[in-house]
Amino acid sequence: MKQVVTVKRHALAANEEHAELLRRRFAGSGTLAVNLISSPGSGKTTLLEATLRALRGTVSCAVIEGDVATENDADRIRALGVPAHQILTGGSCHLDARQVARALDEGGIPEVDVLFIENVGNLICPTTYDLGEDFKVVVLSVTEGDDKPVKYPAIFSRAEAAVISKADLLPHVPFDLAAVQARIRSLNPTGTILVASALSGEGIGGWTDLLRTRLAAKRRAGV
Amino acid sequence: MGIALEVYRTCRRTIEEHGGGRLSRVRMAVGELAAVEPELLVYAWEAVVVGGPDEGAELAVEWRPARQFCAACGQAKARASGSWLRVCPDCGLPLEVSGGDELDVLDLSFESDAEEPGAAGRPG
Repeated sequence: MKQVVTVKRHALAANEEHAELLRRRFAGSGTLAVNLISSPGSGKTTLLEATLRALRGTVSCAVIEGDVATENDADRIRALGVPAHQILTGGSCHLDARQVARALDEGGIPEVDVLFIENVGNLICPTTYDLGEDFKVVVLSVTEGDDKPVKYPAIFSRAEAAVISKADLLPHVPFDLAAVQARIRSLNPTGTILVASALSGEGIGGWTDLLRTRLAAKRRAGV
Repeated sequence: MGIALEVYRTCRRTIEEHGGGRLSRVRMAVGELAAVEPELLVYAWEAVVVGGPDEGAELAVEWRPARQFCAACGQAKARASGSWLRVCPDCGLPLEVSGGDELDVLDLSFESDAEEPGAAGRPG
């Protein structure tokens, strides 16, 4: 016998439920959770290293790394004395909320002020999976095509902040910075756009100021 | 692929809750801002159901466009084809975007294992 059943459920409802639990957990500990998304090789880990150095001593941090394979990124973070856990997705192109919860439970990540979640390098699937974060940050390096925002509009319109990385290479590459900024703004009129170089230190202050401001706002809202 | 797998899990759970059976069709709504390509989703879906008890079950995707409204002009604006710009093409101010982010399982049809609804509970 044929039956039709109404479901009316978000396709990723299971992930959304886990993300909500994470959001409550981060609210309870007053942790600002930041989901970093970019293509492979845009410099997320290098940007994180510079960020952690800049925040050292004033803001406690931890990092969850997502990669298909290897502990390389977590090792780089641990070398700075910052707690890190590597999630190995074994082929999956994004992190989901269950993996992040498991990393917090089993990965020895302490309660900190700012938790960075470095997603698997990919501009598509990570956009769809809520990790309970306070906001998403998209990283775009100047060695990539300056039409990337319009090629991958979903992430650029959803990320609250866009960091244009490797800015020290700007004189050497045909990257139209003003055009990229205009493209990002058109996709996301209220987002923040930062231009940074982890090597020269340019823009790292503006980026860490944004993190401090968001952390302070979260703590105030939590009182 | 992950989405197709989650949709399939949702289907199986729903069917089990209704007495079990074989899935024939599931209907989804996918918004243009959901960052999901319907064709690829259907392709992933076929890979999920192939070789299993629900082989051949169909995934039907309903496309949901986003609606954009410019408060300054006081009217809805069409989005230029292929463009994601969220500023008004006429006055340049940010548009209010509503809908278009759907990624929902709407309903499903299945061949029930039961002979008739409530048959087991009926007095002979």
